[in-house]
Amino acid sequence: MNDQLASESPTTASLYQAHLKIYPREVSGRFDRLRQAAVWALLGLYYLLPWVPWDGRQSVLFDLPARKFYVFGIVFWPQDFIYLTWLLVIAGLSLFFFTAVAGRLWCGFACPQTVWTEVFVRIERLIEGDRNRRIKLDRGPWNRDKILRKAAKHTLWVVLALWTGFTFVGFFTPIQSLAGKVIGFATGPWETFWVLFYSLATWGNAGFMREQVCKYMCPYARFQSAMFDRHTLIIAYDSARGEPRGARLRQADHRAQGLGDCVDCQACVQVCPTGIDIREGLQYECIACAACIDACDGIMDRMGYPRGLVRFTSQSALEQRRPRLLRPRVLVYGTLLGLLVGTFVWSIATRTPVALDVMRDRNALYRTLPDGSIENVYLVRILNKDTTAHRFVLSARGLPGLSVDTDRPQHEVAAGEVYSLPVRVRLPAGAARGSREIVLEVASPGKPQLRTERPARFFAP
Amino acid sequence: MTQHNGTPAAEPQQDAPPATLGRFAQDVAVTLWPSFLAASVATMVFFAFLDPLLFGEATSSPAWLESRLAGYTAGFFFFWAICTLSSALTLYLVRTAHSAAAGSRR
Repeated sequence: MNDQLASESPTTASLYQAHLKIYPREVSGRFDRLRQAAVWALLGLYYLLPWVPWDGRQSVLFDLPARKFYVFGIVFWPQDFIYLTWLLVIAGLSLFFFTAVAGRLWCGFACPQTVWTEVFVRIERLIEGDRNRRIKLDRGPWNRDKILRKAAKHTLWVVLALWTGFTFVGFFTPIQSLAGKVIGFATGPWETFWVLFYSLATWGNAGFMREQVCKYMCPYARFQSAMFDRHTLIIAYDSARGEPRGARLRQADHRAQGLGDCVDCQACVQVCPTGIDIREGLQYECIACAACIDACDGIMDRMGYPRGLVRFTSQSALEQRRPRLLRPRVLVYGTLLGLLVGTFVWSIATRTPVALDVMRDRNALYRTLPDGSIENVYLVRILNKDTTAHRFVLSARGLPGLSVDTDRPQHEVAAGEVYSLPVRVRLPAGAARGSREIVLEVASPGKPQLRTERPARFFAP
Repeated sequence: MTQHNGTPAAEPQQDAPPATLGRFAQDVAVTLWPSFLAASVATMVFFAFLDPLLFGEATSSPAWLESRLAGYTAGFFFFWAICTLSSALTLYLVRTAHSAAAGSRR
């Protein structure tokens, strides 16, 4: 790697322009290894998770056709939409928090755009060779070698994209049966459509759009600076140490020549996937992938200079001030995030797996029975959100002497079943008048966590 | 950097072919992408409260709308289309604001 870099000539300033196709040079080093680890972990999670069984079911399945979400044994219903919203808020706030502390970690290491681009570039490198060979190939004529290489690359890309699209749909409809359908060419029209649509998006975004998604399309790239402050971790070039830059002999005393540590080798520019020059300062195109740090560290090692001419640091550290981790911004984001995550976990843990819907019977406000007592009829729906069947009992309170009459004393509700039943609530003669509030309660005998209630209106003459 | 081992290689990057994203493609990208994100959120919220089978139930609805996946798909692309329209209008207004103002001054 370093040999390749060293054989590069020092090019005149920025030949790199944003509208040119970028051929990122391969790089190795600490941060590259870290990114590889992140990429493989995330891809592994994505491609394998739908195949992992849990309680005899797909561990993570957002079963859209059945309108039920299974996440590691917990079943979420459309009624649990609040959790999804909550999760989105937590995700957003986490992004704020991590951006304030450590800059654009998300972009360089976890964003799907980065992750899949990384894989697609690897395939490209495998087939078309390193940076110089790729450039030569693109400039060269369409001979047999070029056609074969391009065809091979696109075949691999398309296969990976299709697998990605298939896995994507596998998160929303059971992947095992989907796989069976794919093998037998029997997928439904909508499944086929979404597999192809997502494959096309993957192929286009990771194969062609690449850094342009970050530059032109990503809103986060534009507003992340609002979460930055002087203490935020950024990738920066230490210009105090590096300037004035310039070529020199390795054994020369560059200080005596009036030169800084930057040898102006352009390695940091050539490895940059977005094609910027980090030495010009923080730019919104920088996705903090740290490829330039690895490249520069390699050069510094060769030159026998200390590492870190380009490094993860902060504005305040570069100005020789003490960096502070605990700033008001970080504390506020952190506290909010902690609260939200805490309450989220708590409410999932103590979640009642039974829901109750109460509707008044529309035919009559009330009925007077022969003994003078007043009867209101409700249509009640019990939803058992648990994964096993339970028996439920209904009761009513809120007025003295209320009693409940249903067809059966106990109601067996299967797992995931919505059980509807009419409920007749009776009030002794003269106990109340007009419209009153009562509470209907459903509970499973002997299981205190299986209990919930709903308010209802009771009408009397 | 290079002096210590000589061989300055020709730097081919200035001849690199231009990228595919011209002005028009940029416009398309910034119109489609934010509307895609907005449509995704809209679809999620909308279908959290409404079962797409409701669409297929009406006697006037076409036969292909009778599956849930069809409902989700149709809903998503409907939202995407509307959001794209809004994005495109915004882009158009922003792009033309300067020339319109300049025109009115004359």
